[in-house]
Amino acid sequence: MNPVVETKNLSKYYGNVLGLSDVSVEIHPGVVGLLGPNGAGKSTFLKLITGQLKPSLGQVCVFGQKIWNNPQLFADIGYCPETDAFFEDLSGWQFLTWMLQLHHFSACQAEEKANEVLGFLHLAEDKDRLIRSYSRGMRQRLKIAQAIAHDPQLIILDEPLNGLDPLGRRKVIKYIRKMGEEGRTVIVSSHVLPEIEAMTKKIILIHQGKIFASGNIHYIRELIDSHPHIISIKCNQVRDLAAALIKAEEVIKVFFTPDPQEVQIETRQRDVFFDRLQKLILELDLNVEAITSPDDNLQAVFDYLIGEK
Amino acid sequence: MSIRKKGYSHWEGQLKESAFVAWFPLTRLGIKLAFQKRFFKLFFFSAFLPALIFLAGIYVSERMEDFRFMIQGQPSFLQITPNYFKAYFTNSFFLFLLVLMMIFVGSGLIADDLKFKALQLYFARPLRKVDYLLGKMATLGFFLLLLSLIPGWIFVLFKLVFAGNFAFLRSYPWLPLAVVAYSLILTLFFAIYTLTLSALSSNSRHVALMIFGIYLASDIIFGIFYQNFHHPYLVLLSLKLNLQQVGAALFGEKLFYPVPWGWSLLLLIMLMGLGLAILNRRIRSVEVVK
Repeated sequence: MNPVVETKNLSKYYGNVLGLSDVSVEIHPGVVGLLGPNGAGKSTFLKLITGQLKPSLGQVCVFGQKIWNNPQLFADIGYCPETDAFFEDLSGWQFLTWMLQLHHFSACQAEEKANEVLGFLHLAEDKDRLIRSYSRGMRQRLKIAQAIAHDPQLIILDEPLNGLDPLGRRKVIKYIRKMGEEGRTVIVSSHVLPEIEAMTKKIILIHQGKIFASGNIHYIRELIDSHPHIISIKCNQVRDLAAALIKAEEVIKVFFTPDPQEVQIETRQRDVFFDRLQKLILELDLNVEAITSPDDNLQAVFDYLIGEK
Repeated sequence: MSIRKKGYSHWEGQLKESAFVAWFPLTRLGIKLAFQKRFFKLFFFSAFLPALIFLAGIYVSERMEDFRFMIQGQPSFLQITPNYFKAYFTNSFFLFLLVLMMIFVGSGLIADDLKFKALQLYFARPLRKVDYLLGKMATLGFFLLLLSLIPGWIFVLFKLVFAGNFAFLRSYPWLPLAVVAYSLILTLFFAIYTLTLSALSSNSRHVALMIFGIYLASDIIFGIFYQNFHHPYLVLLSLKLNLQQVGAALFGEKLFYPVPWGWSLLLLIMLMGLGLAILNRRIRSVEVVK
């Protein structure tokens, strides 16, 4: 089966600044997560595969054709950029119907499609409001709407869940999965691992402009699981909890912070630790206020993986 | 066959190529947004006043007997010759109206796209750079031709209707073509001029100032230099005078200044070429960080 997106030795330089270096990758139908910390080159990669940037070296083929200077391909591509790109003086409905007309839909078809997509993304009630009055979440949903409204085969979503509330996130994640199951190709970029995990098992890890790893998400999960995690717990009996945790094999360090109700632990076995923590909460009858992981982000994982930490 | 394979196989066929005019939705939206602007409707209808006055002049010229109580003899300004058309098309007020129209309609055409980072959305659709520019130019062309070509042809038509014969057309068979040619020159020049300036800033107010300022400044600079040096070739410094020179030549009338009109036309073409080069450079889907 031919890949939907294929890059060969793809590189992009902004003057002396490296955007992407020697990336060769094949993307097949289904949902693919593009993971990397901020500034890793995800957006550059997406702009290259959407033909918005010309490669400095190498080539990009989409649907077997070169994407650069080939706008006809966009009839089957939906792109949701990371930044807002709206006409603030139009209503959401006007904006969407107009975007559909640029995809050669007739006025009637565009109106019908726009109503359908706005309804699906819970924007139907606000469709006649000016975009300038939209909240961040509504803008994000509208951005996704313009990417999917024309029913494309390849959908490219750059940080699509930014600004969405939990309900909106769940709905969009569900929809992205559905599109993948239908046989479409969905490329989703994010720097938040759990977001990608909820959508797909196929990931591409990108770091400092290079493909760091690609394949099944279990691979990165294993790597992450061996990464020493710091977990912060806020509760009413921090010293009792610390005393219990210090005996646990999976705990490497226990330390206190200036906050008298907070204890931080370091572990290499996150899952084992959380199992134990659940039991301790019940045994000690703890009143837990918060459990957070200060370094639970991709940058920390990448730093660990490439040996910077 | 599973749903997955079915969905995927879609793209392996021929990608559909539509005969639809890709730029037309851009033009339609541009026109629609122009009419949503405050005071634009008032300005738009007022802009037709000069044309109505000239049309009334054609009517009066053919019904002089009815207006004897007001007008004695046959005043030269009521003689419908190519000079009458020149008087309409090259008068400073008419050209100023076109500049104002460009400020209303054109100042935000590209500037707002830059401001709202909308170019990345345009170029993620089956739209080429040339389609984008054509769509924007057609928006301006719509208004410019409404004020130039349409009145010009209406003048010719009403002259024939009021006269009740084709003598006027037999005398000046080239005049309708001159109207078309000059209207196209005006449209192309003002459209490219406006779009170029609109592409230079993401603030439509700054663009409006530039459209007005450069047009006016070129005329003022000409005035200052001409007063000191009295050299006719200084006419090339003024955008307005270059347009007037070309207009006078196309209507077969005396030039405003004794300078070959080809120089003015060449200068306008060079300015349009420069404008297109700037547009080609400025219109790109993403900002490239250097």
